[in-house]
Amino acid sequence: MKLGLWPAKTKERRATILAGLILVQALCALFFIADVIEDLRLDGRIDGPHMVLEFVAAVALVGGVIFLMIELRGLLARMSDMQTGLDIAHGHLADIIEGFFDEWGLTDAERDVAIMILKGLDNDAIARVRNTAAGTVRAQATRIYAKSRTDGRAQFISLFVEELLAGNTQLGDI
Amino acid sequence: MSIPGPALSRNSKSRAEAVTAVAQRTSGRISAREVAVWDPLVRLIHWTLALTILLNATVIEDESTAHEWIGYVALGLVGLRVIWALVGPTHARFSSFPPSPARAARHLRAIFAKEHSVFLSHNPLGALMVYNIWLSVIALGVTGYMMTTLAFFGVEWVEEAHEVIFGWLVLSVALHVAGVALETRRSGVKLVRAMITGRKNIPEGSCMK
Repeated sequence: MKLGLWPAKTKERRATILAGLILVQALCALFFIADVIEDLRLDGRIDGPHMVLEFVAAVALVGGVIFLMIELRGLLARMSDMQTGLDIAHGHLADIIEGFFDEWGLTDAERDVAIMILKGLDNDAIARVRNTAAGTVRAQATRIYAKSRTDGRAQFISLFVEELLAGNTQLGDI
Repeated sequence: MSIPGPALSRNSKSRAEAVTAVAQRTSGRISAREVAVWDPLVRLIHWTLALTILLNATVIEDESTAHEWIGYVALGLVGLRVIWALVGPTHARFSSFPPSPARAARHLRAIFAKEHSVFLSHNPLGALMVYNIWLSVIALGVTGYMMTTLAFFGVEWVEEAHEVIFGWLVLSVALHVAGVALETRRSGVKLVRAMITGRKNIPEGSCMK
């Protein structure tokens, strides 16, 4: 299995960059705070442009780290919400597909084949997965198209896409 | 086109699961489901901290400036992780892995009873190790800093404490690595991969906690 060290998705990349910035900036903040404290201990004075600048830098860095942490948390929450939404949609799509299959009265074998057609597998691939002859799959596909009153693969698939795009009110109350 | 009402009612649940099963069987992502648990900040801190410990324990000269600086970086990393454990996302928070010997004992019993439980955050035993390692790093940083101050320079017990805590940390890291290896074998969750990619694979038939 591939170890995705550098995430492929834009949001995950953003989160990784944010985390890296937080790490480096936090260490810089630590350095400046330690430096200010050290200078205070040796010097005991807070005046002078050097001290003021260092103090401002320390405060700005700490503020930056806090801000970036809030940003990262927000981004992570959005990513997790999106995943939840996908999970819900995934479950409902399965329900929708099942609803159609029941309506058409597909047999169990036909259901298997129909799902694989929806997933974009061609007849040969389906035959390999199901360990049957290509002719059997072709016959099953023909029966599926007949039962769903579609004239082929493309129209069959578009039935489901149409259902998703139409914004059916029955599905609104998820 | 609408969905027929009654058809969805009875065993539609298991039917829907069958759809999912067939869909997964043909998608290549066969094995199990994956859950994102470790955010990038947790992972970065983990591996950077491991690197600082490794560097200071092996290649870096003991009384060099580099040793001091790397020590402070390690201290800062633990500090940052503690803040993140207060404000960060769910699995990174203290509340996801409370330091509880009782939970750890229960987890041990579950291991011997061969239960297939999977923890999304640290498992209770791992959580204890996490706190142990953080505290050790903090103690090392504090005693190390004390050695650089005038008041404690050359004071014997401070140096001895630094040495003893270092030994304890090495032992802890060894136990940590062994624990990860054992838990990976027991639960089937690829823990090292999870700390790299952030995702835990949840094997089928294991109960999530």
